[in-house]
Amino acid sequence: MTSAKSAKRIDDINNKNDRTNREGLRGWLNPILYGWERVSYWFQRLTGIFLLVYFIGHVYETSSLVSGPDAWAAMLEMTQTIGGHIFLILVIGASTLHTVNGIRLIFTQSGQGLGKPGRPDYPYDPTSVNNKQRSGLWIAFILAAVAMLYGANVLFSGE
Amino acid sequence: MTSDSIKNNNRNKNNSKNTTKWFSNITLLRESQIMKIHYITAVGALFVVAIHIMMRLIMPFNMSLEFENVILNYKNVFYALLLESILILIAIHGFNGLRVILLEIRQTQIWERAVNILVIVAMIGIIAYGTRTIIIANGFSLG
Repeated sequence: MTSAKSAKRIDDINNKNDRTNREGLRGWLNPILYGWERVSYWFQRLTGIFLLVYFIGHVYETSSLVSGPDAWAAMLEMTQTIGGHIFLILVIGASTLHTVNGIRLIFTQSGQGLGKPGRPDYPYDPTSVNNKQRSGLWIAFILAAVAMLYGANVLFSGE
Repeated sequence: MTSDSIKNNNRNKNNSKNTTKWFSNITLLRESQIMKIHYITAVGALFVVAIHIMMRLIMPFNMSLEFENVILNYKNVFYALLLESILILIAIHGFNGLRVILLEIRQTQIWERAVNILVIVAMIGIIAYGTRTIIIANGFSLG
């Protein structure tokens, strides 16, 4: 890097107006450049919000029980459509992914599977981003897919 | 001031930095304690939700959702307690998760206080509403 370029870079860094590191939600949602760990972070939060919305809807849906059989049947009819089945399959996938990835995160937060800390040598691969962590994530995706297939089979066959 | 009292002061200052002040001057729980509750409720919910789903699969799925079958489930005291525990565990876990996400997006005192109050009110609201369903369905007369 030439000295003029490096001086400009230092000026840019020093100039607070040029610092665009406060990305807010856009930064939260951007999976580019951060690898599968960011995708995991992203999925954990999105599935969490989705499941919370489903939970609130489910509590409301089941409250129709207290209004008698007709109200229950009318509410149930909404879920007995192809759209309702697809929604429930998504709920099954989201809950499985959130659960398995959440178990991985509990272990990670307690310091398990992070590798030993070491001197930062080139090419600076962090020991915490290792195959144990990645395989945990892939297991979560695979189990979510299996659960969705099983759910689809139960819902569409009615058994 | 002795070195011990200086150490204690510093420790108190650090403690107050690491705690969540939910209401103006009342410190209820540290973030580390809240996260422990978050994980405990997650593991607890995993077991009770698994039982809840299995109850839907012990007979053909459509049949298990018939009004009479569902009411019979609610009339079973143990199952009603299981539903109540699911309600409480997931409400705490879910709304605390939402709180964590909202506090990651923005960090000002007003925002944090508003988010904390909002999630506590929503949590109590959903638990109260779900408990009402369980209590009424538990005493519901079929005939």
